Amino acid sequence: MSDYSWKEMMAVLFSREIKDNDKVTSGAHTEIFFAATMLAQKTHAPNMKLQLGGSVTLCNVTDIEVNELPKTSTGYELLRYAESVHDHPDTYLFYGAPGGKRYYEEDSDLREVNHFWFADKFFVGGIQADKWGNANMIGLGKPGKMTFRGPGTIGINDIAIGVRDTYVFLTAHDKRRLVEQVDFISHPGKKVCRENEYYGDGPKWIVTPKCIFDFDPETLEARLAMLFPGVTVDDIRANTGFEVKTAKKVETIEPPTRAELEVLRNEVDRTGLLRH
Amino acid sequence: MSKKRKEVVASIEDAASKIKDGMTVAIGGFGADNHPMTLIREIIRNGRKNLTVIASATAGLEIDLLIGAGCVKKLVAPYVGQEMYCPIGHNYRKYAESGQIEVWECSEYILYAGLFAAAAGQEFFAWRGGVGTSIPQLNPDLVEFTDPIGKTKKIIAVPPLRADWAIIHVGWSDPYGNGQHLGARFGDRWLARAADRIMLQAERIVPNSVTRKNPFMTTIAYADCVVEAPYGGHPYAAHGFYKEDVEFIQDYVRSSEANRKGDAKTWNAYLDRHVFSPKDHYAYLETVGIRKLLGLYTHPIVSW
Repeated sequence: MSDYSWKEMMAVLFSREIKDNDKVTSGAHTEIFFAATMLAQKTHAPNMKLQLGGSVTLCNVTDIEVNELPKTSTGYELLRYAESVHDHPDTYLFYGAPGGKRYYEEDSDLREVNHFWFADKFFVGGIQADKWGNANMIGLGKPGKMTFRGPGTIGINDIAIGVRDTYVFLTAHDKRRLVEQVDFISHPGKKVCRENEYYGDGPKWIVTPKCIFDFDPETLEARLAMLFPGVTVDDIRANTGFEVKTAKKVETIEPPTRAELEVLRNEVDRTGLLRH
Repeated sequence: MSKKRKEVVASIEDAASKIKDGMTVAIGGFGADNHPMTLIREIIRNGRKNLTVIASATAGLEIDLLIGAGCVKKLVAPYVGQEMYCPIGHNYRKYAESGQIEVWECSEYILYAGLFAAAAGQEFFAWRGGVGTSIPQLNPDLVEFTDPIGKTKKIIAVPPLRADWAIIHVGWSDPYGNGQHLGARFGDRWLARAADRIMLQAERIVPNSVTRKNPFMTTIAYADCVVEAPYGGHPYAAHGFYKEDVEFIQDYVRSSEANRKGDAKTWNAYLDRHVFSPKDHYAYLETVGIRKLLGLYTHPIVSW
């Protein structure tokens, strides 16, 4: 059990981030996040409200057997875990206090910041991410002259209107993906979110198979915060397309524990999708 | 003697022939689910050109097929791909990069804003998502303005996205065009409401008495045209009936990738085998085979 994939590490670290009273929305191309959210429900967050995919399926798998990890966000078989199924446009609509019970407490910090979130967390992919946390799904090149057509923004811009924290993830850590400034912005970073007074606060992290970047609270620029086990700061500097600033203390993420891997492999990802 | 109610059942050929060159067509389903594939293939067989296609908010490779068959001039789509099977549609990439199709850059909710504006007869529908991104720069039809009430925030005005026809897959429809989804509905109701006319592709046509047993399940009422095509969503899933055919999708991905890399021969062979040669819907299903088709059967109560 000492051997694990970077996808499993990512699923575990996101699972640890998820709180029991969170509302989490997971979109397309996110088998890692299905694993993270299902793992969270089965371990420490059975009350987490999970909105999965385009069928806007509200799922709870706490006491339900997951026979295999969903391979697509629209999978017909996702409906196995559903307690309700809404129409897709409902994804972006408010449906209850974010942070659950905590929101209603007199001195809740959630009320300070803003009053509208349709979800606490959302996971965002991209072909590029920059030091501001902007993510790009549109393509490479210039307007009118795109050299590489990306998949399209899906809804990662729309979520800025009402997701408290987004997490940008990249499937590889290299200079092509981590750039000074993305060619096109699909998902706005913190600076753009604040400049435009979005209710959403933009990305909390950029996560790659090698590390986690968080954002300097003053400059709003990415800074290296945590390393995946076995990775060095030099490795990050050598493979990142922007100057890597570091948080005061850069720690190594605790590897998946035996207990976490047991639940992940035996109850969530039985077919080992995250190990390919 | 009283007048009879109009029945709108049509053959696949008659229905598809209503789609003319240059029309705007909205296509339902989402991801790997509930796409009206039989009608899509028939539209390709008819050699349709210069279509403006309004795709679903997260389209799959059904759109990629139409693009690769040369039918599309303009595309409204927040995403074209099949997630882990194919992150970016290969024909979509090929045709967009070469400028052969015009992409109306948008996002999921910008699409819905446009559909809602069309459905509600509004000049535009306002949406904040997209402000600060590259989308308004790439799409001059989107107009940024300042909130006239709060006076500080920027908002995007999205013009109506109207279709001549919406083509929607449903589980059942009765002969009067009352379509019922037997699973997730995705954005189908919105695509349908933004269209002048609606064409339903049903797994099965059922009697009106079935509709009346559960009218809550009627998602699209009084469509203009209905065809029956069992297993007509193949290779994608049809909620209430069968799951997606992963191997077939992977074969499609390989053929479309070959096309993107310049191997038109492989692509044309794919089109010939699965689109042009089968003389009708059942001949197409024969290219898939009984063993495979019946193996895809998945029903919410029986299977789960």
